[in-house]
Amino acid sequence: MAQEIVESPMPGIIKSVCVAVGDQVNENDTLCILEAMKMETPLVAPMTGKISEINVSEGQSVKGGEKLFVIES
Amino acid sequence: MNMKSGLEELRKRREKALQMGGKAKVEKQHKLGHLTARERIDKLLDPGTFSEVGILNQSDIPGMEDRTPADGNIAGFGKINGRTVVVCAADHTVLAGAEGRVGTFAKEARTTKIAVEKGYPIITLGDAGGARIPDIMGSDGLSSMTFPIEGLKYPRKIPYVATIMGECFGGPSWMAAKADFVVMVKGTCMAVSGPRVLELAMGEKITPEELGGWKLHAEVTGQVDAFAEDEEHCFRIVREFLSYMPSNCDEEPPYVPTEDTPNRKVDEVMDILPDAPNRAYDMYKIISAIVDDGKYFTIKPYYDQSLITCLARMNGRTVGIIANQPLFFAGAGGPGACEKAASFIVLCDSFNIPLIFLHDTPGFFVGLEAEKRKMPGRIMVWMEALALSTVPKISIVIRKSYGMAYSNMAGTNCGSDFLVAWPTADISFMSPQTGINVVYGPMVQAAKDPQAERERLIKEWEYQNAPWKAAARHFIDDVIEPRDTREFINKSLDILRGSSGRGFISKKYLQAWPTVL
Repeated sequence: MAQEIVESPMPGIIKSVCVAVGDQVNENDTLCILEAMKMETPLVAPMTGKISEINVSEGQSVKGGEKLFVIES
Repeated sequence: MNMKSGLEELRKRREKALQMGGKAKVEKQHKLGHLTARERIDKLLDPGTFSEVGILNQSDIPGMEDRTPADGNIAGFGKINGRTVVVCAADHTVLAGAEGRVGTFAKEARTTKIAVEKGYPIITLGDAGGARIPDIMGSDGLSSMTFPIEGLKYPRKIPYVATIMGECFGGPSWMAAKADFVVMVKGTCMAVSGPRVLELAMGEKITPEELGGWKLHAEVTGQVDAFAEDEEHCFRIVREFLSYMPSNCDEEPPYVPTEDTPNRKVDEVMDILPDAPNRAYDMYKIISAIVDDGKYFTIKPYYDQSLITCLARMNGRTVGIIANQPLFFAGAGGPGACEKAASFIVLCDSFNIPLIFLHDTPGFFVGLEAEKRKMPGRIMVWMEALALSTVPKISIVIRKSYGMAYSNMAGTNCGSDFLVAWPTADISFMSPQTGINVVYGPMVQAAKDPQAERERLIKEWEYQNAPWKAAARHFIDDVIEPRDTREFINKSLDILRGSSGRGFISKKYLQAWPTVL
């Protein structure tokens, strides 16, 4: 079983979360939108799999390197 | 000695040297998952092209002769993609690859001299923990092994590549620091001194990975340019890097013919660039769409990722691309981005590689952390490099280009030979949202309907920032259709190569700049 952790690449605010735990996602699907420096940055799935963990919700501030999602396949 | 016994002796000595540190040591090297120095050289070079010098070297310390085949450093000439290079490889099976007076100092000085005089790249394969003991012991030992400063007196005459292939302290780390391009194999280490010495001398307990592992150099120091999954990958990276480089500073990089037509339309960029100006996208996708066969070679991929520095080809000729990356910090470059840009300009200028700038930046990264790292100085070092560079420069404003960053990206009157914009360009001293507050703050507050007034001003500001006014006054050369970007760059490069065909050859004002900025 492969596992990938999606971290926040920079500090910012989670503008929206586009997936839920248990969702099946394809590589490059948008997981959430991170707003930083007035720019909305989509964070995408690094691999195809199932969302097994979500640690953020809309409106939450995150630090750089914070664990946001876990994907398993 | 007569011919027959002389030949026998020669063959015997060579045969012994080829065994390196002996069977047990070779097995140990393999167990670590490493190749031996000789295997490495064979994998790096075109098959069968290695011709060695100094195979008969030994340590000059009495009693050490038999234990030091080739004096622990294997050097010679060979070919990569048919072009001559010089290679020096630390032999970890001989006293852990530690540098001896003969193998490293005498031998490397000779091969380096030929490389520089005849114009061949040098590649060092580093796998050593520093100078050999006892060679360096005592006042005479250290005095005989001071840094070979001669090697620093002809900077950037030839591309100098260093690899880190084991736990490297001292010598191999100095070589990496003075190289034009450094590759590190993951799981290795590059530092001044090793953890053992640190623990004894300073009482500091630290692992090699923490002290000088790949992640540290990738994300924090920026001292390494590329990272390999394993040794074979490392050699592929070195070969690929050199394919973009000339053999020396007097030549153009090799021309690599392509089936990719120079005037191919790049309609796909319209889909890559989001409609919403505050939506990020991956600049690598734009680069990939524009360059020959979608292929590019990134330098320092993980260091301040708000800026991309990569090599690619346009119509068969090497170009260096400096591009803002909106995916990271909206494309706002910090101190790391400035260092990266400056050292990349120095590299490209020294080796006759035209530069292409792709703007999409809301300005430089500001704030206390950036200031603590000398942000004004870093911004100016980038500008100084830009000012002194004499290779052709083409600059394209994709979307935002605000403030000082517009100058650093070779904006108006800042060194570009051709400067154009996409119709989506937004050129200004500051973003409309922030700028309105700075310039009209009290006026907006005093308005009858502040929100409506603010929206009106933003619309007005957006119109002012569009590229039309700059184009009308010839501050930029043109506004181009995004789909024509590849064709525009190729036509421009063709013009800038000049009637002599030597238009890419720079004046080398940056040749003597430091290798670490």
